[in-house]
Amino acid sequence: MKRFTLKPLAILIPLFGFSAYADDSNTLSNPAISLVLDGYYQTAERPLAEREEGLGLGHTELALSAVIDDNFYGKLTTVLEVHEGETELGLEEAFIQTLSMPAGFSVRAGRFLSDVGYLNNQHIHTDAFVERPAVYRAFLGSHYFDDGLRLNYVAPTDLYWTMGVEAFSGESLRAEDEHGEREYEEVGVYSLHTKFGGDIGTEASWQVGLAWLRNENGRLTAHEEEEGDDHDEHEEDAHEEHDHSHSAAYTGENTYIADFVYKWAPDGNYKYQHLTVSGEFFRVNDFMAHHEEEHHEEPGMEEDHDHEGHVNDYHQGWYVSSVYQFSPAWSAGVRYGQVDTLMAHEEHFDEQELKETEFTLAWHPSHFSSVRLQYVHQDGLNFDGIEDDNIVTLQYVTTLGAHGAHQF
Amino acid sequence: MVRINSKIMVSMMAFVALMQPTLVFAELNIFACEPEYAALAQELAPNANIYSATTAQQDPHMVQARPSLIAKMRRADLVVCAGAELEVGWLPMLQMKSANAKVRSTDKGLFYAADHIETLDKLENVDRSMGDVHAAGNPHIHFSPTKLLGVANALSEKLITVNPESAAAYRQAFANFEQRWLAAIPEWEALAADLKGKRVIAYHSSFRYLFDWLGMEQVADLEPKPGLPPSSGHLAKLLSRSNQGDIYAVVVASYQDERGARWLAERADLPVLVLPMSVGGNEQSSDLFGLYQSVIDLLKAAR
Repeated sequence: MKRFTLKPLAILIPLFGFSAYADDSNTLSNPAISLVLDGYYQTAERPLAEREEGLGLGHTELALSAVIDDNFYGKLTTVLEVHEGETELGLEEAFIQTLSMPAGFSVRAGRFLSDVGYLNNQHIHTDAFVERPAVYRAFLGSHYFDDGLRLNYVAPTDLYWTMGVEAFSGESLRAEDEHGEREYEEVGVYSLHTKFGGDIGTEASWQVGLAWLRNENGRLTAHEEEEGDDHDEHEEDAHEEHDHSHSAAYTGENTYIADFVYKWAPDGNYKYQHLTVSGEFFRVNDFMAHHEEEHHEEPGMEEDHDHEGHVNDYHQGWYVSSVYQFSPAWSAGVRYGQVDTLMAHEEHFDEQELKETEFTLAWHPSHFSSVRLQYVHQDGLNFDGIEDDNIVTLQYVTTLGAHGAHQF
Repeated sequence: MVRINSKIMVSMMAFVALMQPTLVFAELNIFACEPEYAALAQELAPNANIYSATTAQQDPHMVQARPSLIAKMRRADLVVCAGAELEVGWLPMLQMKSANAKVRSTDKGLFYAADHIETLDKLENVDRSMGDVHAAGNPHIHFSPTKLLGVANALSEKLITVNPESAAAYRQAFANFEQRWLAAIPEWEALAADLKGKRVIAYHSSFRYLFDWLGMEQVADLEPKPGLPPSSGHLAKLLSRSNQGDIYAVVVASYQDERGARWLAERADLPVLVLPMSVGGNEQSSDLFGLYQSVIDLLKAAR
């Protein structure tokens, strides 16, 4: 993560000089400026999550986008986050995208959100729940954005069919370097993804996606036999860093993602009532250092593993979510998700599991503001940072400025 | 130095190349944002493949940039929309996702009806406290017969630019439409003569152009502010307004919630009229002529 600390006002003042444009931004080709304000009160912390206990600020986001010329579109999204009194400025998006390539091709370059999965390329402020599902927090650092290049293709078919390939630096998905001497691949992450979608009559629409994320730096660093006591300290340091950046806590060489979304509205009219059901499944394979994997796959496993039952050699997680807008100003949702992971500990792996059941109720009097009350019941096995199994969050999210178009 | 794993890159490229299907020649594909423009395109380019992104039962402000629309826009030669920011919440996303350079700008295959006529209610200043308003004016222009004819003329020219081979056919189709349309306007006006001066309460400014044309007056809006649903406090105010006794009817469009209108109409003893917002909004509205006829018939039948 490239990140530095700045007094937030110093950033905001010059950018607000543009705000005269904001009124005109709804025409399709002028610069659009939007500011997202997000604040909350939360009764306890959640594992792998960014929000702290008590009163706090979430993603304060300032975005500027425009069609640059006939050939390019550009967008910049900066995010201000506060952690323990420090204000951090993050650059979440800074990309250009081609507009004039033939035959359904387009290229995006710079820093942008990967197209893998359903939620990942959506902006956090459009989410129906306070945090991303545990599987996103564990494997993608809440949302995976990176410096890279994407080639996308939309087929000229009646059924929506798109395919994309991406290459990224992969820094935020690197496995921990416990000894500080690992040589990482500079282009570490590649993805291949495809999505299909269509309508069912006039009332319902669907989309399914499949993705493969190849992470050259995803395997754990090999242990050195003579490693002494300071090993544990290193691990803890690295882990603490995870909580404060968008790095993934669990990585592997190959991640497979399957996702679906189904939306329904009476007569297909989304103004008054509509339903969104979505779900995703993640499998993260090949995370052990090569010599450990061999060791792990030996038929005669260590005894203490046997009496704990079978130990997986992959991380896995999934969630299913359902949100119903029952009037223009109110919606309610429920989501269940879990992750099953393995945490390296000395010479073996400890099984971890986190299950989350979430209920949310949101009041959105206009397109630009929402207030959300959420209850989470969490059930964790071997996860640090669980002080209370029941968490209540009250959150507001507002958007000032441009009326951004939302993705399906 | 940047090192790229070439084996992975090559296999990914090969995958994409394999997926390129063979292109099939087809008639002009027209993507209409709303059914009124699909119907207009049908009049002006009868042989085209025309697809409407929305129906008369769907609020065109609130449309999902759904996969089927991306697929349709991917293959479109011409996109016809109301403009004036009506589709600002979804059209830019469709343009971005469909990667179809042909329909990206109004210089090419994109057509905004509102660009070719004078809209009503343009605003100098807009801020969010005013609700969901459009600085470029009211975009629901299709109930003004003269403005719609102006749009038809411009759309015909656009068709000729996009597909010059069929220029003669497009000119003929426009002439035919213009003749029938100009003949129908005085008939509708005669039919609607006794609606002149009638006062209504309506939902949103959906029928702004219709009331303007027929000399009717919308004295109040069921929405407290554009885009916001009727609140009980606001409805109470409308009820006391209705008690002045000069209201002819409560009018809602086919995609709008009738509950607020029903509540008000019951207490104020007024008829509720659900008017088709567009072609397909009721049985009679099978084309633009039927739509106009149906709206006037329904208005006249209120009392």
